[in-house]
Amino acid sequence: MYAGRASRQEKNLRKELEIMSHIHIAFNHVNFSYEKSAPILQDITFTAHEHDSIGLIGANGVGKSTLLKLLVGLNLNYEGSIRIEEIPVAKETLPKIREKIGYVFQDSDSQLFMPRVFDDVAFAPRNYGLPEEEVKKRVEKALAMTKIGHLKDKQIYKMSGGEKKLASIATILAMTPDIILMDEPSIALDPRNRRNLIHILNGFGHLKIIASHDLDLVLDTCSRVILMHEGRIIQDGGAKEILSDKELLESHGLELPFCMQGQSG
Amino acid sequence: MNKLGGAIYEIHHMDEMAEKDQWLNRIHPLVKLILTVCYIAVTVSFPKYNMEGLLCMGVYPIALFILGEIPFRDSLRRLRIVLPLVCFVGLFNPFFERQPVLALGGITVTTGMVSMLTLMIKGIYSVFASYLFIASTSIEKICYAMRLLHIPSVLVTQVLLTYRYISVLLGEANRMMQAYSLRAPNQKGVHFKVWGSLAGQLLLRSMDRAAEVYESMTLRGYCGEFCYAAGTPCRWKDYLYLGGWCAVFLFVRGRSIFW
Repeated sequence: MYAGRASRQEKNLRKELEIMSHIHIAFNHVNFSYEKSAPILQDITFTAHEHDSIGLIGANGVGKSTLLKLLVGLNLNYEGSIRIEEIPVAKETLPKIREKIGYVFQDSDSQLFMPRVFDDVAFAPRNYGLPEEEVKKRVEKALAMTKIGHLKDKQIYKMSGGEKKLASIATILAMTPDIILMDEPSIALDPRNRRNLIHILNGFGHLKIIASHDLDLVLDTCSRVILMHEGRIIQDGGAKEILSDKELLESHGLELPFCMQGQSG
Repeated sequence: MNKLGGAIYEIHHMDEMAEKDQWLNRIHPLVKLILTVCYIAVTVSFPKYNMEGLLCMGVYPIALFILGEIPFRDSLRRLRIVLPLVCFVGLFNPFFERQPVLALGGITVTTGMVSMLTLMIKGIYSVFASYLFIASTSIEKICYAMRLLHIPSVLVTQVLLTYRYISVLLGEANRMMQAYSLRAPNQKGVHFKVWGSLAGQLLLRSMDRAAEVYESMTLRGYCGEFCYAAGTPCRWKDYLYLGGWCAVFLFVRGRSIFW
């Protein structure tokens, strides 16, 4: 009987360790502020696993973008602990961490700085020392995934907002990241390109975190939602439960997704 | 289009010209860089009274304008600020050197006039050579060629990023000016009372944007060394082009020395 209990305990421990090993992101009591008097993030604790798709929602200025920036080490003076695949986010680990993460900026003009689409998408693979043949392959694959292969040689300043957004997404897909972070990815996209984006996001099997006000997009692409308010996590749970909770959303400056508004009325 | 919008357009137009799939643009950037430096060095090395030799050196920019199909009138318009400044350099020579050389009709041509003209021609040729190099080579290729010459990475990256941030700065300034003019329709220019705040805003915005661009670069593996596309190696055509022009330069320059 004792031996049976021990083996069960061992099994549980192994299971726990297995879960631990698949934890890609772990925030543990993280606080962040530029000035002490005005905290931006307070006591943020959550974990994210390998195949999670998480929607980060909340009203303007609740700290969604800041949270994403902490993950890639763009702000390092935080309190608490942030780990990506068991590696703490610190100055000395940044190159290793950034190789695993693709971050799409809210403003595409900040993301794209090379003259042509091809050069911009090739920027990361070249920096990681891949041979030119492999760089070309990756660029073409990323452009095909975002369905902008025809824009390969286009000058970036000549592109529309939607095209720029798709090119920004291609720049990170070319890195073949383990984790994708997106800050308002559906901004500037027309309905067809938005559907294309949803298709791309659903095709990405690894961990993704999407900060967005477009709750319909979040509903279509994420199985889990983290609701933030005034720098804190208010709710962390299934996308359908949180996004259909009218009272909860409205009390935190949001509204039901459009596709649910008719149903609730 | 306002002035700032025009400046942005000009930068983009230059980029487009450099990206064109054309014979001159396909010449290896290192060859073009070496040739440009050689051409300028040979041109400025002519004695100050050697007008004939200098006129012969005009064959290089003329050939490049034709080969590269670069519009001459547009080029003159773009260089309208630089060219007068270059010409200004030799303006005082006629006052210092008054020895007569020949008489053309009723006008006595002095050594000062000749040296003024040669100085002007040297300046104009040098500006044209640099312009033609930039117009037929993208900034990335120029920087790649500089790296091949082992110019320190820090300097090359400075050149590249300065070029990139110029359009970022102009873009921000343009947006601010548009926003200002839409809310001040009856004003010509910017009222002096808001000069300070506009300049301050421009600086802050540009710094923010530059920081974001830099963040975007670091997130994609940039750590101080720009990785340029390894261009195709020099082909026999490139060597022939380099050798041909060097022979022309040496012939013209040697002719003025030995004959």
